[in-house]
Amino acid sequence: MIRFLAIRLVQAVAIVFLVVTATFFLIRLAPGDPYTTVTDRHVPPEVVDYNRHLFGFDQPIARQYVTYLRRLSHGDLGLSHRTFRPVAERIRGALPNTILLGFGALLVNFAFGIAVGAVQAARYDQRLDHLLSLVTLTLFSIPAFWLGLLAIDLLAVNLGWFPTGGTMDVVTGDLLPFGRQLLQRLHHLVLPALTLGLVSGAWTARYMRAEMLDVLARDYVRTAWAKGLPPRRVVIHHIARTALMPIVTLFGMFVPVLLSGAVFIEYVFAWHGLGWEAAKAVETYDYPMITALTTLTAAMVVLGNLVADILYRIADPRTVSS
Amino acid sequence: MSRSHPPLVALLGLVGTLAACEPAPACDGYCGTAVIVTIGDVGTLYPPVIGTNQEWEVADQIFLRLADMGLNLNTVGDQGFVPKLASSWTFEDSVTIAFRIDSAARWQDGQPVTAEDVAFTFAVYRDPATNSSAGHLLDRIVSVTARDKQTAVFRFTHPYVEQFFDATHHMRILPKHILDTIPPLQRAGHEFARHPIGSGPYRLVRWVSQEAIELAADSNFFLGRPGLARLIWRTFPDGTGMVAPLETGEADITGAIIGPPNVDRARQIPHIRVIEYPSPYYGYMGFNFRNPADRTRPHPLFHDRALRRALTMAIDRVAITRAVWGEYAVPAKGPMGPMLRTFAYHLPQIPYDSAAARAELARLGWRDHDGDGVLDRDGQALRFDVIAPASSGSRIRSAVLIQGQLQPLGVAVNVVELAPAVFGQRAQDGDFDAIMMTWGTDPTPSTIVELWTTDGIAASNWDAYSNPEFDRYVEQARNARDSTDERTAWEAAYRIFLDDAPAILLSSPLMNAAVHTRFENVTIRPDLWATTLWTWRIRPGAMIDRDRLVRRDP
Repeated sequence: MIRFLAIRLVQAVAIVFLVVTATFFLIRLAPGDPYTTVTDRHVPPEVVDYNRHLFGFDQPIARQYVTYLRRLSHGDLGLSHRTFRPVAERIRGALPNTILLGFGALLVNFAFGIAVGAVQAARYDQRLDHLLSLVTLTLFSIPAFWLGLLAIDLLAVNLGWFPTGGTMDVVTGDLLPFGRQLLQRLHHLVLPALTLGLVSGAWTARYMRAEMLDVLARDYVRTAWAKGLPPRRVVIHHIARTALMPIVTLFGMFVPVLLSGAVFIEYVFAWHGLGWEAAKAVETYDYPMITALTTLTAAMVVLGNLVADILYRIADPRTVSS
Repeated sequence: MSRSHPPLVALLGLVGTLAACEPAPACDGYCGTAVIVTIGDVGTLYPPVIGTNQEWEVADQIFLRLADMGLNLNTVGDQGFVPKLASSWTFEDSVTIAFRIDSAARWQDGQPVTAEDVAFTFAVYRDPATNSSAGHLLDRIVSVTARDKQTAVFRFTHPYVEQFFDATHHMRILPKHILDTIPPLQRAGHEFARHPIGSGPYRLVRWVSQEAIELAADSNFFLGRPGLARLIWRTFPDGTGMVAPLETGEADITGAIIGPPNVDRARQIPHIRVIEYPSPYYGYMGFNFRNPADRTRPHPLFHDRALRRALTMAIDRVAITRAVWGEYAVPAKGPMGPMLRTFAYHLPQIPYDSAAARAELARLGWRDHDGDGVLDRDGQALRFDVIAPASSGSRIRSAVLIQGQLQPLGVAVNVVELAPAVFGQRAQDGDFDAIMMTWGTDPTPSTIVELWTTDGIAASNWDAYSNPEFDRYVEQARNARDSTDERTAWEAAYRIFLDDAPAILLSSPLMNAAVHTRFENVTIRPDLWATTLWTWRIRPGAMIDRDRLVRRDP
């Protein structure tokens, strides 16, 4: 196991390094730079030139790269061109919100996906299966931002059950005791997590259904039925447990996707996370921010897959020997 | 088999404990909270480098000018200007203005505001290391000196009607005693930019990046107690969800509702009042005067004034304005937004007349010789690209409508949507035939220098329009010593511009603010809507819960 981990960690570092390098060069090869984005306010050309010089854009690209790597090796992600503030500071501000939203959405995703998939498989080809297939297919097909807007209109504006957006109530916010702040955050989390979780959960449900149907046809399940075990016991203990194995892989894929920021959901719900930061960074050609966020995403993808591999090896010891 | 549920029990216990917590503290006597929806992040609160209206909304509550323009946005002389840090001023001669600093004015750390601060501020704005986009706007001020502790003296290069505007509008006065200890290059990124100390009616108490900014009123503010105790800006990434919090009552104000559908929706909210005000913006399709393939040569099509005029005549600008903006814009009348005082001038426009445009094109020799549906002359087709940023729906729609209106006349327009940075690059490089642009200007007509004069070709006159006569009138207007001469010169310059048709002027969008009906004394200055926010207050008896909340640790 230790050797496996060591190899995977070396691979992980190599992958992240390649991503940093590719991102660094690709964004600089694209036309324009942070100071050619035309706003509707006049910016004097001498100011533009000065900023280019300040951030080293007047240097050869190879030299910029070496400087960036040197700083990166010291943990310095650079200054945001947009805000003149350290990139690390911006990421620190957004990361907790992204983790909260990501895990909230994951919870909804797997709770919804596994439950619906299991019910569908148990009621295969019956009316309930068809109905749930329609629901999951619909959720799978509609854009998340649209579902988000619908949720805001229905559950926030019309019914008033939830806030329209933000990660906290900006009025009471930090005036409240810690516990109530926490509850307030959870209240703000419900709609974005539900939206993101349901859309991705539809995929999990269809995956779970397919896996369970595959397991249903196996001999040991037929034996369980033949032994006269109660249906609930057969479905949960014999079918679902086996079918859940591939879901671990799915988990490994979802973690980085959700944690690297759900841009549209963060936009719709004004949820300040990494997705929002990434969108703003791309919009304004904020090179250090784009590179840092891409690196972070790459690291999360690698880490997510590593965790999935480890879980898989724990859950299914056969993979160790193979 | 009995099963325990420890996490569930713990959660219920937590909820129970939290329910018993103390509520937020309530205000005693000085109340009022306004939650303001704003689009886009606030990056800095250091005035010399501020670049967005969102940042000004906040910064203008913290920092003061010497004097503020009135609501009519007059920039000639000092008529309508309201004293701020300067309690009075004297025009000592044609090139000298002396400002008397209000002796009651204080920085938020308790230090008095002095004339030294004013002289220091001027030096900071003019210092190339500050990199202020307002620095060049002060180039007609020779010096600012502190005659004594309370008197700041401005000397100008020559007499002109906007001296007072230049002296007061571009600079928010900075605290010398804090900033002169910070090296100039480090000021923009210094902690001061995140936790500024100003002399205005509000001070910063909380800034949660991309989420909220909270200001608390200074009840001892030397010009009087602000009407509202707390101002909170809630940040939205774009206009998509900006109206919903107004509907639910989570927010009270937005200074600029983005997009006609949002304005329509805001008008339906019973507790929201939508206030329309003129904008600094005007949109147009600009013709490139230089050949994009070789910038030293004239553009093969658009160097021809008669052709530009014919194309302008072929465009129904009223229809385009209505189609793109509905009732929330007016056709542009000249190179200025409706906010500018010169927008009121009566200026002759090239009339919309597609039949006359067709005849004029034929007279110029443009005919469909090869029967391909596109006019041509001497082997050259009347075909051109127009570039537009993909991020601007209004510009794309306007370009497509222009394409549709020119097509029946045999003019082929290819609309090229570009990523904003690519658009910017090509605009600055002059790499286009025609360009969809929108500009917002300062309240002074002088902004035209950078955008349309020959000198402006080195700045933002990317169309490279150049007419010495136009330049001469612009300079006359800027250097005029009285308002009549100034107006005469501006009118002459505008007439030449409209006659030359360097651009097809399209629409000037109107701005719409949404304000909760419980506020009174609501006034909006069109260039920066929040300038007078500190004078707004809650109607007696109209207070809601959040108005009574107070921060105990300002």
